[in-house]
Amino acid sequence: MKFKDYYEICGVPRNASQEDIKRAYRKLARKYHPDVSKVADAEVRFKELGEAYAVLKDPEKRAAYDQMGSQWKDGQDFQPPPGWDAGFEFGGRGDGVDHSDFFEALFGRQARGGQRPGMHVRGEDHHAKMLIDLQDAYRGARRSITLRVPELDEQGHVAMRERKLDVNIPKGIRAGQHLRLTGQGTQGLGEGPAGDLYLEIGFNPHAQFRVDGRDVYLDLPLAPWEAALGCSLAIPTPEGGSVQLTVPAGFAAGRQLRLKGKGIPGNPPGDLYAVLVIALPPAVSESEKEAYRTMAKAFTFDARADMKGDPS
Amino acid sequence: MSNTDTRLARGPVVEEEIHLTLTELCQASSASEEHIITWVFEGVLEPIGEAPQKWRFSGQSLRRARLALSLSRDLEVNPPGVALALDLLDEIAALQARLQRLGAHRQEK
Repeated sequence: MKFKDYYEICGVPRNASQEDIKRAYRKLARKYHPDVSKVADAEVRFKELGEAYAVLKDPEKRAAYDQMGSQWKDGQDFQPPPGWDAGFEFGGRGDGVDHSDFFEALFGRQARGGQRPGMHVRGEDHHAKMLIDLQDAYRGARRSITLRVPELDEQGHVAMRERKLDVNIPKGIRAGQHLRLTGQGTQGLGEGPAGDLYLEIGFNPHAQFRVDGRDVYLDLPLAPWEAALGCSLAIPTPEGGSVQLTVPAGFAAGRQLRLKGKGIPGNPPGDLYAVLVIALPPAVSESEKEAYRTMAKAFTFDARADMKGDPS
Repeated sequence: MSNTDTRLARGPVVEEEIHLTLTELCQASSASEEHIITWVFEGVLEPIGEAPQKWRFSGQSLRRARLALSLSRDLEVNPPGVALALDLLDEIAALQARLQRLGAHRQEK
């Protein structure tokens, strides 16, 4: 187990006042909140921060934590000394948050109240994210996900358990949508029913396709002569096959060809867009250079026509 | 410890196939009824139906309610602030989708 320096995480000295800690937490929480942050590891940072704040804002927990001494460094191997928490009483119920092993070892055991006999309570609903391939949304799929779920042992202590679940991915699902899996949340107490599991779907990034809602975009590189003279070619579809596409003559870079109904299936289905990109062939050999020279002679083309005009 | 549930879990797509009652939305988002009611009056959530007991929330409300809860709980944002933040986040999402459509991710590399 690694020691967590909660003061370092919050960026405050060990003698910081509760008010200082609160201020530091709020500032960092805004910075790392996964819903608003652009920082790459925001989710991890925010979780760590939340855990640090849960300890430091609570005078009892903070005092118990301080008792461990200040000689520990963040990330150092650590075992809590026996009886370290004698004389402390941590109130409050568990919040269902997946805390670090370090936190669980120190404060986790008091997390949940024991089950009272005769009490029937519906289990909590759970949320998890699941990444699938774009192709899965086109075809439907069966995908498995491993969830970490808190579970009560016989003494009423919370332990994290891994659970693998096979999930039916319905055809036509889009990024950001949720699947509701009835009864796959937390077990109920007594005869109370289990809660539900909500899976938020996201797509694995794809090298070729970009997705916006139901519509899918693909960059289609063309040689200048293909764009100028028109051509017919096959492009890949996210579904796995390919589709024939006719590019009309005189097509300009940035313009899009729409393949109606070839986006993510649904009612209505999305569209697939081929976004035209002109690929310039390099002129290396003498004959290639000659071809460019011939072009230069044949055209009265000013690439910078738009830059002309009144310079003032 | 790990075990495998070999049954295939199936369920509806929340955003397309479900409407939620106030109780269901509370359970699914972990927000309290007071929270949800406040956000409805703040315009964050727009259920159909007149009284809270008759409200039906669209599937999209789940994402909004969870976002609203995490903003008010983690950042202690008040209800008008939550409403503003959600509008701004929607706007950012629309702009990001537009960038993504234009393939701007390529130029950043």
